[in-house]
Order: sequence, then structure tokens, then C-alpha cells
Amino acid sequence: MKLVKIIPVAILTYIIYIVFSGSVSTYDLVLGVVVAVLAGYLTSELLVSDVGKALSIKRFIWLMLYGVYYLTIAEFKAHFDLIKRILNPKMPINPGIVRTPYNVGNDYSVVTIANSITNTPGTVVVHLDEGRKTYYVHWIDVKAPDPKTTYENIVKAFEGYVKKIFE
Amino acid sequence: MKKELLIAMSMVITVVVMAYIATLGGGLGPLFSDVRPLAKAFLSTTLDPEKPLFTAMSPEAVTAIVWDYRGLDTLFETAVFYLAIIGAIAIYRDVNEKVGLKGSGLGLSKIVRVVTKVLIPINIAIAISIALHGHLTPGGGFQAGAAMAVMPMLLIVVFSRYFLLELKLTKGLALAFRSIGLTGIALTVFLPIIIALVNGVNAYIMQNQMKVNAPVGLPAFIGNSLISGSLILYNVFEFLAVTFGFSVLFLLLSIEEDIVKDQMRGEVSEH
Repeated sequence: MKLVKIIPVAILTYIIYIVFSGSVSTYDLVLGVVVAVLAGYLTSELLVSDVGKALSIKRFIWLMLYGVYYLTIAEFKAHFDLIKRILNPKMPINPGIVRTPYNVGNDYSVVTIANSITNTPGTVVVHLDEGRKTYYVHWIDVKAPDPKTTYENIVKAFEGYVKKIFE
Repeated sequence: MKKELLIAMSMVITVVVMAYIATLGGGLGPLFSDVRPLAKAFLSTTLDPEKPLFTAMSPEAVTAIVWDYRGLDTLFETAVFYLAIIGAIAIYRDVNEKVGLKGSGLGLSKIVRVVTKVLIPINIAIAISIALHGHLTPGGGFQAGAAMAVMPMLLIVVFSRYFLLELKLTKGLALAFRSIGLTGIALTVFLPIIIALVNGVNAYIMQNQMKVNAPVGLPAFIGNSLISGSLILYNVFEFLAVTFGFSVLFLLLSIEEDIVKDQMRGEVSEH
């Protein structure tokens, strides 16, 4: 069982080794395998709980789609909104820290959503309450502090994708 | 108020002048327009099979100088570094790192912990890549070891030192791997002599390629891959020694002060 878990970590490590080395000589292709298996052996217990999920092509495609969505649409919308606020002489901001619920259980899902929120301008996750399944988010324009509004505005767009990738 | 204004003004002027020199001013320029004779000598011999008595068979001149041309110097530098670590181990000799052991679940928030966990295999890949390319590109054993030692440091800060002990990275294990690294360096130093004794010829310690009256040369290639004789061995063993040497230090320095003091006084700690 443990040996199968090595595969996803080893693939990731191998790609990083080759890209970082910047070479596809025999020397690197062979030693890369050794390094990848070693790294997989040392860390797979920490990183992988479900090999089927980690190697699923469907989930990987969703991850790529999420990457495209996040880096283009989500980032563009957040930047555009913030640029408008910066350039406006009245500086229309209404900042505050709000509670917003989330509906995922997996560690990777919780962290991916939190980092997605933090990495888009205008919102920053300042605290995570796992017991109550709540992010505390600093929001530059608090529309309303109730859980429904905050969930719809901050979490919902990311959660749909992340559920398909990690849950 | 006046003083602060003066400081602020001088800082602004410094930044502007530096920025001007670095960009529009064309920089400071090279100190000498020519490559100096010493550099020329090294650059023309590091990777030149036509000069078998002078070459180090490595395109990376710095590694060639550090582990071949002035190898003994580096050997004693390494010895100084390990004496410092031995000093730290000696001071902590009575301290049992497992006293006061708390379970995992300590540390920073889940977000930081998960991201740090994902970084571990990436860190391993990058550090070992630096070590294995020490004879080809800038970097080498010490730099790779320093890059790898970031990981135990990060894990101690993010998860607490108990997490490392749970991963079985104890002082004993780190010391064992550090010793393997140092033994490897020592064996590589004497490797040409051992080969020479077997073949009944002369050799120097730390010899890499053949020299006058010492025809022993370590293989520069495996198949078509350049390994630069002893340089790859030194880099890999130095990587092991530095990684685990630093790990020992981090493990020792992260033990809580009151636990250390209690144990040094000879009392059994019940924290």
C-alpha cells in the first residue's frame, strides 16, 4: 500500500527535478528517477491519503481548468475592482473582517480555497476556525456581514472547482 | 524634527544616486577590462582533455578550484565547520531530546502546515539537483546542503520539533548520516592512493585527474555523462554532511531552554 503512494509524489518530484535542472541529458533523466523515488518514499505518508484521487485524470483536468479560471477570470475581476477603488478620488472602501462559512472537509480543499481568497486582491484570510468551518476574512468592501452574503461573494466561486478537485 | 528630516533627505539622496549609477550612469563597470592571467589559466584548463595533466574535467571553474586545485584548503574549511558542530554536540551531550515530548498537532495554522508539507518533496528535488550538478553549474555540495537544511528548520518553526522526532529525524539519525557524509569525503581523499597502491604506482591525496609521475585519474565520464572524477563524490558527500550537520544543530538549538537547564543540572525533568 505504502509503495503505491510513492507514485504521485514521485511524478511531481521528477517534473520539478527536470525543470529545475533545465536539462534532459541521460545523467538527469536517470538520477531524476532516483531522486523522485527517494522523495516519494520519504514524504508520501505525509502527503497522500488516497492514491486513486491523487492519480485521477478527471481531477487533474479540473485542476487545470481551475488554474485557467483562477489566473484569468477571478484574478482579473478582483484586480479590476480594486483598481477602480484606487483610482477613484473618493476611495470608496468599506473594510472589515467578516466570518464566512465553507463546506469542504479535506485539508487540501480548505487550504486551496483559503489561499485562493488571500491571493485575490481585496480579500485576505486572517484566521481559520476548523471547528466551526469558518474563515475569518478581511474584506475591502463589506457588502453585508451575514454568512449567506459572504459565502456567495467570497467562497462560492472557488468552492465549486475545489470540490471537484480534492473532495 | 530637524534631525529626522536630515536623515530622510540623506536616505532619499543615497537611493537616487545609487539608482542613477546602476541604471543611467552605466553602472560602475568592470574593475579591469581584461581577464587576469590567473583567471585565464584556470578557465583554459578546467575542462580541456587536451591538457590531461592540468585539467579538472569540470566546466564549473569554481568547483574545480574549490575541490581540486585547492582541495586541501576546502578540506580544512570543512573541518572547521564540523568542529563547530562537534562543539555544539559536546555542550548538549547530557541533554535527552525526547524528555518532555509532546504530541504533534502543535504549530501554526492548517494553511501554513499543509503548504509546508507540500514543499518538502520540492525542496528535496531542488537541493539534490544542486548537489548533483555541482561539477556542471554554480552550486555544489555546501550550497545544496544549506538548501536542504532549510527543511528541518521550516518544519521546526511550522510544526514544532516534536514533529521531526515523530518523523524519526532524531539527533542520532542526523549524526549517523553526517558521519556517513564525512567518512565519504575522507574515503574520496584517499581513493586515488588506494587505487595507486593496488596498481603499484604513485598518487597524491585528493588527486582527481592524472598528474606528472602520478598516472591515477578518476573517471571523468560514465557513459557519455560528465561526472568530473572526484568532484561529484565530494559534492554528494558534502551535501549529506552539511544537510545533517545543520539538522543536528537545529534539533539541539530548538530544545526548550528549561528542559536543557534541568537536564544539565542532573535533574529528571517532568515537563
